[in-house]
Amino acid sequence: MKHLDDLILNSKVIVCVGSGGVGKTTTASALGFRAAEMGLKVLVLTIDPSQRLKTTLGISEGLEIAEIKDSRLKGRLWAAIVDNKRTFDEFVLRAAKYAPAAEKILKNKLYIQLSTTLSGSQEFTALEKLHSAVESSLYDLVILDTPPAKHAMDFLEAPQKLALLFQDSVIKWFRDPTGKGKNIFTKILQTGTQQVLKALEILTGSDFMHELADFFESISLWQDRLETRVKEIQRLLVDPKTQFVLVTALDEARLMEAQQFARDIQKNGSHLEGILVNRAEPFWWPSASGNSKIESQARKYFAERLELLAKVETWGAWIVKIPELRDNISDLETVAQLAKCLGDSK
Amino acid sequence: MADASRIQIHFVTGKGGVGKSTFAAALALKKSQEGFKTCLVELGHQSFFSSFLKVENVEYRPRKTRFGFDLALWSGSDCLKEYALHLLKIESLYRLFFENPISRSLIQVAPALSELAILGKITSGPPRFVGPALNYDCLVVDAYATGHFLALLRAPKGMAEAIRFGAMGEQSRSIDAVLRNPEICSYHLVSLTEELPVIETLELQQALKTEFQIQAQVILNKVYPQSEGSSSEFEKFLQQQTEQAQAARLRFGPELQELPMIFENQSQDLIQILAKALKE
Repeated sequence: MKHLDDLILNSKVIVCVGSGGVGKTTTASALGFRAAEMGLKVLVLTIDPSQRLKTTLGISEGLEIAEIKDSRLKGRLWAAIVDNKRTFDEFVLRAAKYAPAAEKILKNKLYIQLSTTLSGSQEFTALEKLHSAVESSLYDLVILDTPPAKHAMDFLEAPQKLALLFQDSVIKWFRDPTGKGKNIFTKILQTGTQQVLKALEILTGSDFMHELADFFESISLWQDRLETRVKEIQRLLVDPKTQFVLVTALDEARLMEAQQFARDIQKNGSHLEGILVNRAEPFWWPSASGNSKIESQARKYFAERLELLAKVETWGAWIVKIPELRDNISDLETVAQLAKCLGDSK
Repeated sequence: MADASRIQIHFVTGKGGVGKSTFAAALALKKSQEGFKTCLVELGHQSFFSSFLKVENVEYRPRKTRFGFDLALWSGSDCLKEYALHLLKIESLYRLFFENPISRSLIQVAPALSELAILGKITSGPPRFVGPALNYDCLVVDAYATGHFLALLRAPKGMAEAIRFGAMGEQSRSIDAVLRNPEICSYHLVSLTEELPVIETLELQQALKTEFQIQAQVILNKVYPQSEGSSSEFEKFLQQQTEQAQAARLRFGPELQELPMIFENQSQDLIQILAKALKE
C-alpha cells in the first residue's frame, strides 16, 4: 500500500472529486498544507468554500488568491477561489481577443444565464483555472477541489459537452454568413429545417428565439478557442502526473457512488490512486467503551458501516480511512491536524 | 382517488450529506400513511432510491412501492419531451424536433430550459393544469443540494424577466407563482447540528425569504441523546453533540423540527422509524 506523501511528491496536479458534503474542500486544503509542509510550492483551488474556510485560508471577497503563512510550512501555500462568472467572462473576452463584439455577448441575457447556471459551466471554469495555473509554472503542485457531482462523468465530460453545444452545425444554423437577411426566419428557409425551428418557437416563443439567435451570432468569436482549450484540458486530465483522489463518506449509498466514480475515472483514462474515506471512525472509536446502552448501539452501528469497506471494489485504487477529528475543521489549526492525519495514514 | 382540485408539493433540500433523501422518503411514507396519494420524486437521470429502497426499474413514469407511495425519476429532458408532446400535439413534429441532432444540442444550450421543464412538471397539477393529469394529492421532491436548488428556483423568475412575451415567459410566470404559493408548496431544509451545515441552511432560509418570500421549515437531523454523565470518550462526544445542538437551536429559533440520531443501517427500517418521529 502506498503512502499519501508519495502521491503528493509524484504529482503535478491532484484533483479531489466526490459527492457533496463528504469533505472535499477540507481534504483539498489539508493535502495542500501537507504538501507545503513537505517543502513544495502549492496552490489549492477551491470552489464556493464556506465563509469560515475562506477566513481560515485568508481569502476575502474580491481577493482571488491569498498566501497562507505558517511556521510549519517549509514550502509555500496559496489558496484561490474559482469565481465561476468572472472566469467565464475572462475566458470569453480573451478568446475573442477583446473585440468590441465580445463585450456585447457579456450583456446577452442568455449568456448571463449560461455562464452562471448552465450545467457544465462550473466544471469548465474550474478546469480552465486549473489549466492556467499549471501553465503558469508558478507551482510545484496544484490541488483542485471540484464541484460536487453524483457521477464522475458529470465532471469529466462537462468541458466536452460544453464544446459540443457550440459546434459548427448549431452556430451555422443561427448565423448568416452571407450577411443578407438579418433575421432568423430567412435562415430557416436556407437550412430547410423550418419545422424544427417552428417546434422550438411554439415551445419557447419568438422573444426567446431572438435572444438565442443573438447569442449564437457572438459565439463564433470564441468557439475555436473553446475547442482548443477543451482538448488541452482533456490532455491534462489524463496526464500521468495528474492524480485523482476520491473523497467519500462511510455509508452504503456513498460507497456505491464512490465505486462507480472510481470506475468512471479510470475508464476516462485518468489516474485514480487513492480513495479517502472521510470520518471513517468517530473520534471516540479507539477508546475504551463506557458500556452505556447508547454507546453499544452506536458501536454496533459504526462497526456495521466499517464492514462495508471490505466489499468495495476499487479497481486497483487503495483505500485510506481518515478518522474523524475531535474538533470540527474550521480553522488553520484543524486543517493542520487533518494534514497530519493524512500524512500518518497508511 | 386523488383530489383533482388540490395538491401539496414538498421540496426537500439541504447541504450534501445531511440526510435529505432519507428525510424525503420518511416524509413520503408519513404522507401516504396519512391517506394522501403520494409520489416521491427524485431529479436527474440516475435513481438513488432504487438501491436505497430496493425498488427496481425506477423511471419517469411513477411506479408503486411496497411503502404505499409511488416513486418517480424526473430528468429535465424527459419532462421537456412530455411537455413538448403535449404542446405540439402532432407526434411526427415532436419526433422531428427531438430526433434532430441540432435541436437536441439546442435543448442543452438553451439555459434554464431543463430547470423550467422539471419545475413545470412538478407544478403541472392544480391550479395550472398543464400537460397530462398528475393524479396525486402530494408530491415529495427530493431536490438538489442548497446552491443548485436555489439555481433551480431562480430559473422561472430569471426567464420570466428575460423573456417577456411568448409561451416561455407565460409558463415561467405561472410556475413561479405556484412555487411562491404557501397553500401548495412547502420547503423543508435539512441540517445537521454542525456549524457548516447550520450556516449553509441559515443562508438558504434567508435567500428563500428575501428572493421568494418563502417561509421554509428547518429540520435538525441526527440529534444525539443527552449524555448520561460518565467520563468515557463517548460521553464526552455526547456532551459535545448536546452543546452543538443547543447552539443550533438558538440560531434556528422555535419553529425547528428535530429528528433523533437513529442507529439503524437498514434504510427501509430507518425511514419507518423517522416517519413515526415526524411531527404532525
